[in-house]
Amino acid sequence: MPPKRKAAPGQGNATKAGRASAMSTPGPATPRSLDSSMMSDGDDDFDEDVTEAQREREALLSREADDFVNKFTFKGKRLQGQDDEPAGGGRRADAATRLFKKRDFSYLPLKPDHQNRPLWIDPDSCTVVLERFNPLAEQATDFLITIAEPKSRPTFLHEYALTPHSLYAAVSVGLRPRDIINTLERFLKTSLPDVVRRKIEDHTKSFGKVKLVLKHNKYFVESVDAEVLQTLLKDQVIGSLRVHGSGDITTSYAPTMGGLVIPGTQNAAGVHQANLRQAEKKPGEGGDASNEADLFTALNEEDDDDDKEAVHAFEISDADVETVQKRCLDIGFPILEEYDFRNDDVNPNLEIDLRPNTQIRPYQEKSLSKMFGNGRAKSGIIVLPCGAGKTLVGITAACTIKKGVIVLCTSSMSVVQWRQEFLKWSNINPDDVAIFTAESKQKFSGSTGIIVTTYSMVTNSRERSHDSKKMMDFLRGREWGLMLLDEVHVVPAEMFRRVISSIKSHSKLGLTATLLREDDKISHLNFLIGPKLYEANWMELSQQGHIAKVQCAEVWCPMPTEFYDEYLRANARMRRTLYAMNPRKFQACQYLINYHEARGDKIIVFSDELYSLKQYALKLKKVFIYGGTSQNERMQVLENFQHNPEVNTLFLSKIGDTSLDLPEATCLIQISSHFGSRRQEAQRLGRILRAKRRNDEGFNAFFYSLVSKDTQEMYYSSKRQAFLVDQGYAFKVITQLANIEKTPDLAFATPLESRELLQRTLVDNERGGEDDVETDDLFGKPGRGAGGRGGGRKAGNGVRRTAGMLSELAGGQDMAYIEQNKAANKALKGKGKKGAGGDGQSKFFKGLQREKEKSRARG
Amino acid sequence: MVKAVRGVLVECEPAIKSILVHIDSTHHHEFIIEDLDDTHLFVKEAMLQVLKSKLEERLRETYRPDEPLEDSE
Amino acid sequence: MSGGQQSYQLSEYLEKLPGTTFRKLYQQPSTAFAIFRRMLPPLAKVFVQALLYMPSPLLLSELDVWVRAEGKMQRDRALSILRSLHIIQITPPGKDKPQEMQLTTNFKNSLRLALEGGGSHNSFGVPSTLPVAPRIDIAHLDGYARKKWEDILHYVVNSVPAQNDGGGGVSGGGPKTSVKELLLIGRLVERRHDTQAGVGITQAGFTFLLQEANAQVWTLLLLWLEAADRAKGEAKGAANTDSIDMLSFLFMLASLELGRAYNTGALTETRRNMLPHLVDFGLIFIPREDTRQYFPTRLATTLTSSASSLRSVSSGFNAATANNPGDASSLGTTPETSAASKGSVIIETNYRLYAYTSSPLQIAVLGLFTQLNMRFAGMATGRLTRDSIRRAIGFGITADQIISYLASHAHDQMVRAAAATGRPVLPPTVVDQIRLWQLENERMRTSAGFLFKDFDSLEEYVSLSSYADEVGVLVWRSDKKRMFYASKIEQLRDYLKSRKKAE
Repeated sequence: MPPKRKAAPGQGNATKAGRASAMSTPGPATPRSLDSSMMSDGDDDFDEDVTEAQREREALLSREADDFVNKFTFKGKRLQGQDDEPAGGGRRADAATRLFKKRDFSYLPLKPDHQNRPLWIDPDSCTVVLERFNPLAEQATDFLITIAEPKSRPTFLHEYALTPHSLYAAVSVGLRPRDIINTLERFLKTSLPDVVRRKIEDHTKSFGKVKLVLKHNKYFVESVDAEVLQTLLKDQVIGSLRVHGSGDITTSYAPTMGGLVIPGTQNAAGVHQANLRQAEKKPGEGGDASNEADLFTALNEEDDDDDKEAVHAFEISDADVETVQKRCLDIGFPILEEYDFRNDDVNPNLEIDLRPNTQIRPYQEKSLSKMFGNGRAKSGIIVLPCGAGKTLVGITAACTIKKGVIVLCTSSMSVVQWRQEFLKWSNINPDDVAIFTAESKQKFSGSTGIIVTTYSMVTNSRERSHDSKKMMDFLRGREWGLMLLDEVHVVPAEMFRRVISSIKSHSKLGLTATLLREDDKISHLNFLIGPKLYEANWMELSQQGHIAKVQCAEVWCPMPTEFYDEYLRANARMRRTLYAMNPRKFQACQYLINYHEARGDKIIVFSDELYSLKQYALKLKKVFIYGGTSQNERMQVLENFQHNPEVNTLFLSKIGDTSLDLPEATCLIQISSHFGSRRQEAQRLGRILRAKRRNDEGFNAFFYSLVSKDTQEMYYSSKRQAFLVDQGYAFKVITQLANIEKTPDLAFATPLESRELLQRTLVDNERGGEDDVETDDLFGKPGRGAGGRGGGRKAGNGVRRTAGMLSELAGGQDMAYIEQNKAANKALKGKGKKGAGGDGQSKFFKGLQREKEKSRARG
Repeated sequence: MVKAVRGVLVECEPAIKSILVHIDSTHHHEFIIEDLDDTHLFVKEAMLQVLKSKLEERLRETYRPDEPLEDSE
Repeated sequence: MSGGQQSYQLSEYLEKLPGTTFRKLYQQPSTAFAIFRRMLPPLAKVFVQALLYMPSPLLLSELDVWVRAEGKMQRDRALSILRSLHIIQITPPGKDKPQEMQLTTNFKNSLRLALEGGGSHNSFGVPSTLPVAPRIDIAHLDGYARKKWEDILHYVVNSVPAQNDGGGGVSGGGPKTSVKELLLIGRLVERRHDTQAGVGITQAGFTFLLQEANAQVWTLLLLWLEAADRAKGEAKGAANTDSIDMLSFLFMLASLELGRAYNTGALTETRRNMLPHLVDFGLIFIPREDTRQYFPTRLATTLTSSASSLRSVSSGFNAATANNPGDASSLGTTPETSAASKGSVIIETNYRLYAYTSSPLQIAVLGLFTQLNMRFAGMATGRLTRDSIRRAIGFGITADQIISYLASHAHDQMVRAAAATGRPVLPPTVVDQIRLWQLENERMRTSAGFLFKDFDSLEEYVSLSSYADEVGVLVWRSDKKRMFYASKIEQLRDYLKSRKKAE
């Protein structure tokens, strides 16, 4: 195979860097409004008035991230090993060989006991195939999740890809090249191809060799390989930055897990001795199996005292950290950051521990063991499905480090939730958990504590109030032990860059449900935050009852001819409205709502399209929330949905995609979506994974995607499902809903009604060249790359525009609808008031209200 | 005077018919001889293959193209 | 695929033969015995056994005593098969005499001979008394037969235009030209220029590939017999004596013993002429050094086994040729003997397909409807995609054939998981999707014909369209538009003319 090289990386750099700097320059093309989070913060606007120095820092970070991405892709590097594969003569070719082009690897001989080994590896793309029904599958899975990227995890055979990033992650959690190679060799049915061996060596050679360690509040460049350190010292730039007088190179023992105990684990509970093996160890059945398990356990630590590994280090000054970091990347030794918090005497300790009876789940423990594997805190990202307890993982990490923590969330709604979770799971003094939002600017009382805030709050300074400025100075002026970054997949890379370059923290933990971004910035996250430390298997968690089992279906709704004719003539914008307003889809929605309400389900209906959201909700007399809904109204609606047996269906715009915790919901219906966004699909599914009833016998949650047949929606729909399908979810196609015509008061049942709907839809949206799709993905322009080609929608202040549109709806009939709308929500308000303060009100809202009162009192 | 016109009868779902009519209207009406009813069209025999391939093109937009198996993302 | 398929093909062939042919066929005890064993449903066998030694005809009404009322359907079916194969005669219904049935003379005599042994008919072959080369054992014969048969199947499989063919491909070997010609004549393949082999697979070819091994052999043999008939150019409809002898010979081969040498000298000339072809098919082996001997292979000796437990192509073949010298007639009854008799294919809910196989043949068959990805020793991976399925459908393969292939080859793990969860073996979403992909192909139907319009009067429209309907050419009409569409014009033109005249 001829060498493939990444096309003109320089060019890509230029554009990306360009975009980043455009970010800092106010102008019409710059997304200004980032608002419309669940609880819109008044001053959430992205900061335009940054200092020159800050801007430069960000531009630099952006370029570095690009460098990082380009340097460490297989494409650029993979090919050295290719030429010495067995020569053509050595290969067996038979009648089927040609069907695989170059991907027939049957020349790799099987080991005699191959049936006891679970893996194959494709030497070309480094794809690993795992036999799930093999006796060693469990151990192999644990190993693979550490060294490779999961690609396909259905029932019987899984596929993983060995990538430079995944190897980087493996090295960063403490695996050494020979561990990776030896373990692979043991699990493989064939012997490890030399090409792969060299690829691993090539990449791990440069990865993870050099660590930046903050110890006794001094920065050390550290390596287990003295030669590497010598290389660095000989480097012009780095050599001159060494702090002299501290002895040339210090040598000490490599850190081990030692006495570190992660709270909430069985170790912590004293069931086992204080080490962290338990998570990895699971003796297999075969005779060989237990050895394999032991071997793998040994990978993470070698606590045999005689065999302690020496590490070598030299000191650099605080001011030179960035320079050294950059230089190391340039010369091929990207630096890993580790925080030796147990030896940090400078930053005060935080009084925090998990509540005594809190037990974390095995996969949570597994993920944390990756972070704390050698007794220090490593930065990185943990990927758990929605509802699988990401928050508790973050809190446990905080309880392990016991230093100051800053938590960054996507909305002020989740800020409040995070604080409450801290109080719920840990023994932290409530005064030590402060909130920094538009409404509330608290500080903790003691010398250290926890600050929970939003990305927007810390990245803007425009029109910042005096309080905010003071608060920012406070945040910037400290060293944080841990920075928790929630929902990292939705936050624009530029925003991270600003957060990370302005707030100093010793370790960073990113949390997310899906590392999917349609904008290809995931690799940047690896640079800015750290490698992916762990990614859970959705199906496995669902089988174990940690998240709900879900039945997925795609319902095909043919369009009536007049609608379809109009669709064919329409522009892209109108097409989206038309396939959402398809009366057959409307009927399907009505039918499914009836069906599931009768079963006792609580239903969320999602629509990205605001027009259809309102039309559906009003016609079906259901409550709804969108970006323009006032906070009070949102709270009333949510509370009723949770507790009022009369209110079982809630229509949500995409502001409900993330961060909205509604464990009552058991059924989800999508009527319109954001193009082909796999991420949105996964997030929405996440809304029902937490279902309270998930452990009831035979319980299933339901996820329906309604698509208009023969429209582009079909295309987007299957694209959206790709991620979940590879997680093992199966979407059943439903082409016919039984007895739908018998639905009482079936909407648009006559051709006349259907035509009227069409006319009204066309008239109402005629001047909608300006689209009313909310830009309320919390931030300006997240991931609309892939699917959005037909879009052409501008980023802007969607909420304001939408609010405007509502009042602009001119026609008489529409006015009537607005009235109805108000009436519908008013009806709830009455009930809500009755319940206010009473038992009907949820803890959540009580809490929220308390917070507000408090902050008012303080302010 | 009764006429017998030679051509091809197309029988299809309404949606397909809509697409065919739309193709015809954007191509100088060179395909369809007579629009018969919701599910039938009468088209020129010589143009049938072109019409079929144009239809396939249109339908392709509604299905996700198969991804290469080696997809990295 | 049901086990009945191959008998169906054979019976279809036999049913076309006239009574005289059967009389000749039944002169051979081996033929009578083979037909008895292979072609008859259980109830029909019971009838034959009862009638075999009955001195006088049986009253038809007495059958009612044997068969319960609810079994009447089966009884009628059994009788109809026995009659169509000319095994029984039933007197016509008359007023004075009740209906009687009895076995046809030749069949009765031959079957008795077959069961009792004796006679000098040599119908079950004449063993060779010459010394046998020690290398010729059952394993050798199995290897030989497998090679021959797989060559044929490969030829058919490889005539699929390769989608990503980077050249290369198979070279050398392949079946004999005569076999290739036979495949062409039988329209299992057709001449095409866009393939390596210069031929392309046909719908019949796909069906052939997906058949059980036993059915495949019969398909090919019957093609051969038909071709031989046509070549002789003999009287239409009647099979000539040669083809009767040929068919008898096939039935005889089925009764021979695997691993034993038989004497070529004891064969008729017709039969001796058949030997080269049978060698090409892999049904018999003739040692180069001694052409006075022939050895039937397992392909021949299992011709008339009721092999419904055979799966298909390679697995069936593997089972048939599994190295199992202890029990020469064990075909299909010992699933443990060969790994291939276990299913090997796993299909996941995300359409990824994994096949535990090394057989190029099975991989090639999978490649007919799968986008193959990579291959390891003993394992091939791929994915079902819209394109791969639609391509197969374009060749004439049906969604049901694919689904049934996947189901019958499902890996043990899938079967077990399904049993444990009470769910179907194949993921229902995948099955649905394969069908939906097929439906996409059927969304537009076209037919050439004529549109009648511009009628002078309603009466003219009504009368002509009604006439079109009467003669069965009316396809579509609209009273509102006063138009109709007819598939043919001739009769309508005549009708219009005669109407004009009448006016």
